[in-house]
Amino acid sequence: MNRTLLIFCLTLTAICCLTGNLFAASGEEIYQVEQGFKLIPAVIMVALLCVYVGVGFLSKVSDTSGYWIASQGIGKFGNGAAIASDWMSAASFMGVAGLLYLKGWFGLGYIIGWTGGYVLLLCLIAAQLRRFGKYTIPEFLGDRYDCHTVRLIAASVTVIIAITYSTAQFKGIGLICGWIFGISYTSSVFFAAGVVCAYMLISGMAGVTRNQQIQYVVLICAFMIPLWVLIKNAGGAGILPQLEYGNILSGLMEGQVAGGALNTEDTEKLRQIYLPWGAGSCYQFIALVFTLMVGTAGLPHIMIRFYTVKNEDVARKSVIWALFFIGLLYWSSPVYAAMGKFWNPMGSRAVADVIILSAPEKANLGIVFIGCLASGAMAAGLSTVAGLLVAGASAIAHDWYATVLKPDCTDKQALLVGRIFTAILCGIVIFTALNPPALIAQIVAMAFAIAGNTIFPVVVLGIWYSKSNKYGALAGMIWGLGMTLLTMTGWILGIEFFGPYGLMPATSSALIVCPIAFLLNIIVSNVMAENVTEETADKSDHILRKLHNLPGHVDERPSPL
Amino acid sequence: MPTRERVDVNFFRPSTENMKAEVRIVKIVLICWALLSYGIPVIIYLAGLGDPSGLGESFITRARFLGFPLHYWLIAQGCTIGYILLCKLYCMLWDKKITRQGPRRKS
Repeated sequence: MNRTLLIFCLTLTAICCLTGNLFAASGEEIYQVEQGFKLIPAVIMVALLCVYVGVGFLSKVSDTSGYWIASQGIGKFGNGAAIASDWMSAASFMGVAGLLYLKGWFGLGYIIGWTGGYVLLLCLIAAQLRRFGKYTIPEFLGDRYDCHTVRLIAASVTVIIAITYSTAQFKGIGLICGWIFGISYTSSVFFAAGVVCAYMLISGMAGVTRNQQIQYVVLICAFMIPLWVLIKNAGGAGILPQLEYGNILSGLMEGQVAGGALNTEDTEKLRQIYLPWGAGSCYQFIALVFTLMVGTAGLPHIMIRFYTVKNEDVARKSVIWALFFIGLLYWSSPVYAAMGKFWNPMGSRAVADVIILSAPEKANLGIVFIGCLASGAMAAGLSTVAGLLVAGASAIAHDWYATVLKPDCTDKQALLVGRIFTAILCGIVIFTALNPPALIAQIVAMAFAIAGNTIFPVVVLGIWYSKSNKYGALAGMIWGLGMTLLTMTGWILGIEFFGPYGLMPATSSALIVCPIAFLLNIIVSNVMAENVTEETADKSDHILRKLHNLPGHVDERPSPL
Repeated sequence: MPTRERVDVNFFRPSTENMKAEVRIVKIVLICWALLSYGIPVIIYLAGLGDPSGLGESFITRARFLGFPLHYWLIAQGCTIGYILLCKLYCMLWDKKITRQGPRRKS
């Protein structure tokens, strides 16, 4: 069985690489950075890829519990690193620095949005979910509300999020691979997909989690080391770059850059983006922050992490570590943005996308450092894609197939379906990544809007409001999902109301939509309270007792599917 | 399963001792969280109302902290450090108020 699988994966990888080359002619070019094959970065990258696949192979698993939740044996430090690496996607690795470069102060909204969400997650969701202790978020919702429709909607949303989010990652990975191997964007997307598929199919969550810890170390080292050299070249002392760039930043506001003082017009532009409302109003800032926060707390592939730890105490403490690990990255990316401005104050959007590569290049940092950065970005993208695909495939295999469609299937069948769907999802993602509908950061922000509007309210009310029932849950979820899709369509069609400067931008719609989703859930639940059957109410009651450690719940082992 | 009394869980009306303690901790942490996340931008907004260009320039943007413009540091590093401390606070409060008394209260 395992050998067949291995051969299958290798063939798949080979096919991916080959087809990649066939498509190569139509690919997008990598701009701003030097073309051609680069030996040292390529060696670093290939060595790391071998390690990932090797670790995945060594920790391969044969039962479903191992595939989905790593047999619940992961500690707080390890889980923290895994959450962080799940979290730190190619988008936060490359995209945040780019956003900060373009938008200045306003871009900081992404940083606090993406870290503050963890406080919400910790306070309202983490420990309770661990007490529930089953496999997936759709399963929690389906059981709590005793309703297959809720389960199906939640599973679909999980899949949508997995696809949109992975698309952004594949785009990032594609840019990086293209830069290192000197191949086109298209072929590098296929190359990356082959690697992701191979090791996910072989190992499942245990391998993914172990790899995520390695990938965290790789990516954070790769991200931080060049900073010391950068800050030295910019005239700092080179001790703690995260604190030293303040002077450079203050200088930027007065027009001081590497090439001397700027003229009045350019200085004014620079000053403007570093002043609070130069790139967006206060309302837009708060709406963005709120959306990213509830989105963070509602992302299924992050929540699923709390099932993989030993107990709820570890679940809580791993959040502190996760946040610290994430913080390390987010304290550093503004440095890249400021350095980018320092050497290249008037760069365009094209520069912003690859700012973490182009800032060191402008500072003459040398190919090894840039190779490190590229491998780090690759690690970031791979780990996030892997976590997402596991969450998405588990939603389909576990919640659609094993629970609703064919409840009497065996462990083996469910595992097989899981693997098949991992591959199918990967295929869909490749397809969308080849023609991405929007910019990296926008795609990601929309995934957050979906999570915040649809999943977050229903999970929080499911835990904290016993009167909430399936009618309320359905009303809230349909409203959240519907409104998010509407705003996204509006954004793509260019309607001003949903545009970046409108009242309800698609990327930050949750400030309005999310509270209404809460209200709808509560109101409809109360109105329809009569229609809930005794049986359903008993089941929900049982789960609530479990969630809150109340006396009277029968302590059962998690059912083996 | 015979019909029995159902639990009533409501964030704003916690029913058991344990849940009350839990909710109290959550409330403390969430209030700090809201002040950090939304209080600081609002303060920057209010302070910058006097700027005729609408860019929000004020004493906060002119002040320097560790070399940074203060408004930049507050969001870029102040908030994130604050969040980590809040998570730590939550876990500490939890250990103090709930873990220690927990086993006795459970059934």
